Amino acid sequence: MIYLPYGDSAMLINFEQKIDAEINQNVMALHRAMEVSGISGITFLIPAYCSITIGFDNKTTSFQILKNTIDSFAKEEMNQVSHSSARLVKIPVCYESPFKLDMLDVMEHTQLSRKNIISLHTSHTFRVYMLGFVAGFAYMGKLPKALQCPRKAVPRLKVPEGAVGLAGLQTGIYPTEAPGGWQIIGQTPLKMFDHDQPSPSLLQPGDQVQFKTIDKQEFYEIEKLQSVGEYKLEVTHD
Amino acid sequence: MTDFRLTFHKPGLHTTVQDQGRLGFQHLGVPINGVMDKCSAQLANQLVGNDDTAPLFEITLIGPKVQFSGKGQIAITGANLSPKINGEATEMYMTTNIADGDLLEFGEPIEGCRAYLAIRGELKVQKWLGSASASASDPKTFTPQSLIQNRANFIVSSKKKTTIKSIPPTERPIINQQLKVRVMRGPEFDAFPKKVIYHFFKYWFSISRDANRMGYRLDKTLPDFKPGFEVISSGIVPGTIQITNSGQPIVLMADAQTSGGYMRIGNILSEDLDKVAQLKPGDLLGFELVEL
Repeated sequence: MIYLPYGDSAMLINFEQKIDAEINQNVMALHRAMEVSGISGITFLIPAYCSITIGFDNKTTSFQILKNTIDSFAKEEMNQVSHSSARLVKIPVCYESPFKLDMLDVMEHTQLSRKNIISLHTSHTFRVYMLGFVAGFAYMGKLPKALQCPRKAVPRLKVPEGAVGLAGLQTGIYPTEAPGGWQIIGQTPLKMFDHDQPSPSLLQPGDQVQFKTIDKQEFYEIEKLQSVGEYKLEVTHD
Repeated sequence: MTDFRLTFHKPGLHTTVQDQGRLGFQHLGVPINGVMDKCSAQLANQLVGNDDTAPLFEITLIGPKVQFSGKGQIAITGANLSPKINGEATEMYMTTNIADGDLLEFGEPIEGCRAYLAIRGELKVQKWLGSASASASDPKTFTPQSLIQNRANFIVSSKKKTTIKSIPPTERPIINQQLKVRVMRGPEFDAFPKKVIYHFFKYWFSISRDANRMGYRLDKTLPDFKPGFEVISSGIVPGTIQITNSGQPIVLMADAQTSGGYMRIGNILSEDLDKVAQLKPGDLLGFELVEL
């Protein structure tokens, strides 16, 4: 673990910089411990794949105080990681036009056919490593190496709600329209973040996700069913 | 005691209700939001005798047209967007009495980008996750009252008048069109080639047209920049300067996403970020490296 200053009112704890389920479990354990311990001066926490960003009030605490406090309990907390059972959630995705905005770029980067890209994306299960970027954006990984491609050199000003994208070894779903640089290969009709629900985010860190290909007709059917609350999410437990 | 009411006859370019933002929901991906220029917003609230953290209106470049009913007090700070009451220029940085039927309008933007309009009393506005600040994404769903639309109206529970105060010009925040800000090393600072770092601190960057509450894209790209590696997405705080894969710097602001994966070269000091909030497209921004 490395503690880095991150502006004058935040710090960054970097774990080993790898997309790895075990490292991410350690992040989640340390995040929970910090939430429970109520260290004074902390304003927010952003647990990610292999890092935690800690916002603090620089009038009441400092980088050094926080570093010492966290260091004193971090190791112990991470040794007590519990391997809680994961949900497997199936997410329907339409990989056709007009949803597959960057499919051609992805084909060029990966040197794979559209069919192979879809088959690789739907045949693996992915772990939800973190929520971030915008409310309810689930970062999932990790992609098979063959699907790896860089972010767009110039990010889009508007990526549509439900867009499913790739970036490096990650895949994710845009829960609302937002600017972004991920390579978009399809779109889900599911509402990923519903602020009326007690648990507004459809996916939670630690969930397992499998994508399932649907055609355009199914896309609009599911969208309609969901809007009247009649779509049943496919979930199984380990 | 009668209530004081506001009706927006024109919303302006981008007028929102803001307070100190929503802290503590960033792990769900909810941005912080809140006023962009904290110092100016605080002064507006102080002038009308409200708490520093009370919700107020943030007005961007083109101001709204607001009609008041009932009597009350207001104060306007931040950018000078030529405020007028009933067609006559009104003083900024001063507690101003409002009479029933008064009409507040704005004209030419003279300097700065964001003005703050504070109303004495409690602005009745729906909160989401502890804050009245307009949500950056899907504001109509999450914070329907906080992104000002045509015909929006608000009730302010009125309070006894406060004494008229004003802030002398020498004590007001200075608004610049060319600004050098203090920057600390960002998390990936050491991964940038020396030449890229040299240009980053040497150049003046102009604020592009893609500049809003989420972030400012700067107009110049850093020459010979090739991203060293893909950063694994990690938390973002306002003031972070990212370099996109094309070498373009983006300064992340109050509505910034909670995480991102571009390399982070530096972080602007909080105090200087208030001044960045007053820059508009075409203004110039430079960076100076500091150690804390």
